[in-house]
Amino acid sequence: MKKLLAMLLVGVMTLSLAACGGSTDADTATDDTSAEASTELNIYMWQQYISDDLIAAFEEENNCTVNLSYMSDNADAINKLTAGGGDEYDLIMTCDAYMESLIAGGYVEEINLDNVPNSANINDAYWVSKGYCVPYLMNYIYVVYDSETCPIEITGYNDLIDPALKGQISTIDGARNLFPMALVALGYDPNSTNEEEIAAAYEWLVKFNENVAAYGNAEQNLTNGTVSVAVTYDGNASWAMAEKDTIKIADFTDDAIQLGMDLYVIPTGAKHVDLAEKFLNYICDPEVMAKNLDEFPYSCPNDAAVAAASETYQNDPARQFDYKENVFFQEDVGDAITIYNDYYQKLKVGE
Amino acid sequence: MSTYTAPKKKNLLPKIAMAGPVSVWMILFVTIPMLYVIFISFMSRGVFGDVVYEFSTESYSTILDPTYFQVILKSLKAAGLTTVLCLLIGYPFAYIIARKPKDVAAKMITLLMIPFWTNSLMRLNSWLLLFQTSGPVNNFLVNTGIVDKPISFIYTDELVLIGLITNMLPFAVLPMYSTIEKLEKSMLEASADLGANPRTTFCRITLPITFPGIFSAIILTFIPSLGIYTVTDMLGGGKVLFIGNIIKNQFGSIRNWPLGAALSVLLIVVTMLLIFIYTRFAKIEDMEVV
Amino acid sequence: MDAMSRRAKKERRNRILGDVYAILVYAVLYIPIAVMMAFSFNNQRYNYYWNGFTTQWYGKLLNNSALLSSLWYSLFIAILSTVISVAIGTIGALGLKKYEFRGKKAINNMLYIPIIVPEIVMAVALLVIFMNVGLSLGLGSILIGHCTFCIPYAVVTIKGRISGDSNTLEEASMDLGANRVQTFFRVTLPNIFPGVMSAAFLSFTLSFDDVVMSNMLAGARQSTLPVLILSMNKSGITPDVNALTTIMILVIVAAMILNNIIQGALKKKRANY
Repeated sequence: MKKLLAMLLVGVMTLSLAACGGSTDADTATDDTSAEASTELNIYMWQQYISDDLIAAFEEENNCTVNLSYMSDNADAINKLTAGGGDEYDLIMTCDAYMESLIAGGYVEEINLDNVPNSANINDAYWVSKGYCVPYLMNYIYVVYDSETCPIEITGYNDLIDPALKGQISTIDGARNLFPMALVALGYDPNSTNEEEIAAAYEWLVKFNENVAAYGNAEQNLTNGTVSVAVTYDGNASWAMAEKDTIKIADFTDDAIQLGMDLYVIPTGAKHVDLAEKFLNYICDPEVMAKNLDEFPYSCPNDAAVAAASETYQNDPARQFDYKENVFFQEDVGDAITIYNDYYQKLKVGE
Repeated sequence: MSTYTAPKKKNLLPKIAMAGPVSVWMILFVTIPMLYVIFISFMSRGVFGDVVYEFSTESYSTILDPTYFQVILKSLKAAGLTTVLCLLIGYPFAYIIARKPKDVAAKMITLLMIPFWTNSLMRLNSWLLLFQTSGPVNNFLVNTGIVDKPISFIYTDELVLIGLITNMLPFAVLPMYSTIEKLEKSMLEASADLGANPRTTFCRITLPITFPGIFSAIILTFIPSLGIYTVTDMLGGGKVLFIGNIIKNQFGSIRNWPLGAALSVLLIVVTMLLIFIYTRFAKIEDMEVV
Repeated sequence: MDAMSRRAKKERRNRILGDVYAILVYAVLYIPIAVMMAFSFNNQRYNYYWNGFTTQWYGKLLNNSALLSSLWYSLFIAILSTVISVAIGTIGALGLKKYEFRGKKAINNMLYIPIIVPEIVMAVALLVIFMNVGLSLGLGSILIGHCTFCIPYAVVTIKGRISGDSNTLEEASMDLGANRVQTFFRVTLPNIFPGVMSAAFLSFTLSFDDVVMSNMLAGARQSTLPVLILSMNKSGITPDVNALTTIMILVIVAAMILNNIIQGALKKKRANY
């Protein structure tokens, strides 16, 4: 083994070379942030959800650095917010369902909308907890399928537990995304706090799980033919449809679908509130958001931006469906979240 | 008895300065945290994922719940299978390298290590790209008419197993290589000259002598495979879960720290058990760990 | 004679079989890398399937600030934890070899815990203790985490390098009037230098590619490259990550070859003297 280690030494030089290059760069990076502390903006949000060009343009316009870091679960953002996120971040992305408790817990700052004049472009119908957040994008969680390979017709959630779809579904993940589908399918309130109903939803999801090939990666799996059905967001469906034109939106007859709202909040104690407000105002600018929508074709609560968006965005087949009004929102379920989490873990653990 | 007494240590400073930092580090960041995990595993869970400091064995009864216990068995099975396959593939491989001239062997070992300077997640992702429905393997199979419909390789237990084996193989090969390398060729020749056939030589001489290397390989593949979650995350499509995934979830989205701690304790127990068996055969200091 | 040649023939056949087997094993290990490199040239937003050749990702890489900053951050952490681990590991290995004290055996056994216990358990243990004492997660917590698994490797590697006669050499040096510090730098360190370098190399590799510890202990605004890639997994890994990884491999391999050439040249030069 000693000889072996000596052999491994071959790599030492190389890595120390690479390391030297790295260290100087890392040093300058830290220098930058400390020297220009007043002109940095730290944002915590979803990955692949905002245009790099948009960020670069904002940086140039305001002579600042924007540091983006990414969450992998909605719970991450909540963890950050409740653990004093203001120390590290100036803007955190979260969703409508958590706003009530975040405000009650004093975890978010009130936003002075006078400093965000462009926010007037946002449709009030989609604006929960106005004054504490600024909506960014929103997404319908619906079912899309490949008309060439999907063996059955899908008109409601209950079709998704049809044994004919075994191993054919790629779905979004997360307790609060999966359980509402089951609850709606069973005729209950999608935000139920009743343990019996949640247990019934769990039983439904066990059958659904049989048909699931993968949680996540809906676009990839749908476009490369691994699955024929996907439960996904409209933006992701848009990309999949652009790749493959046989992908269609399922024609739901009665079941309501979830409309999720992603919004920015300023965590309590944030250090660069001025820049955060500038950023919020910037992304609410119709022209800026319109360009962002071309790159990230999700639904948008900013009506002026949608009006200014490209033809491709406006005619996107991923948003051409007729049950847009039949939606529900995720609501704060309070203590019942533990029940959801326990059943969710049991679902994922089960065979 | 002897009148000689060891000179009293006059100067403790060098001793403290040299052995101190590492000892303090190990106590502070290994022993205390491990004990604290055991402590947490006997606490109760609060509504919002916080730990409530009240004695409870709830976490341990959850582990014994059939659904959870199934995952534990499944993880043990997968880790066991990975270990066996790594040994079966790795032993002949280590043997071949060890029998090469020194400089060739050195190059072969380097060649074995290069993939491990590549990000492990990207290497795992390649298996998905390779085996997905419209990936190169399926295209080849369909175009040559071997199958008429693409096969679903990805998001299966088998692909996870391939990922595990390719990730663990060097850790099995290296310790076995270093023990086989020490094997005297003359001893094998003597055995052959004394009329033993190759099989007898292998069973009576080679295997017993290289056994410590084999056991190191077992420990270094079995235990990490048991706790790993990146392979299942990357290749299992969120459907294949091992203990590691569940522990991670308890500290992430699910937020049940006592349960996560209890599962960690389980892994510690399994590890200690294996080490205990190992120390029956060899000294822990002799374990080849690199 | 006949028997001999039959034996030689058999040995030859076995050797060829062995080589074929080795090539097969290498193939399995290198196929993922080849695929990873190939897909860095894929003309698609995400790597759904092969969609034609492009080199655009190598250019776009330079604009992906999140990716690049995570790379620098990973390097920064890897270097820092290497320096800390090797420093503590070197003097620790010497101290543990040289001195006897109560609890030494316990410390020696403790060193094997981070090596053997699954990393997730160590990560969880550190997380709960950090949370309990109120240490906020960030650069500090990641560094402690990385050092905790690097130090044991460093100690074990270096300890194996300390030869039995090092004590005599040190005593001779001190007898000749050198103080402890001089002795350390002039005698002890050169003696164990190869071990120190292996330890450094090992620590760097372990830290740079670490996912589990970093993922659990990172809370900072910056994520390391492996953590970033893991979080990309759900939405899809973009081909520019493949491009970056490809460049990294090429740099490592090129530098290795260069190093080999230099080492070879030095050896020749020394032989000429």
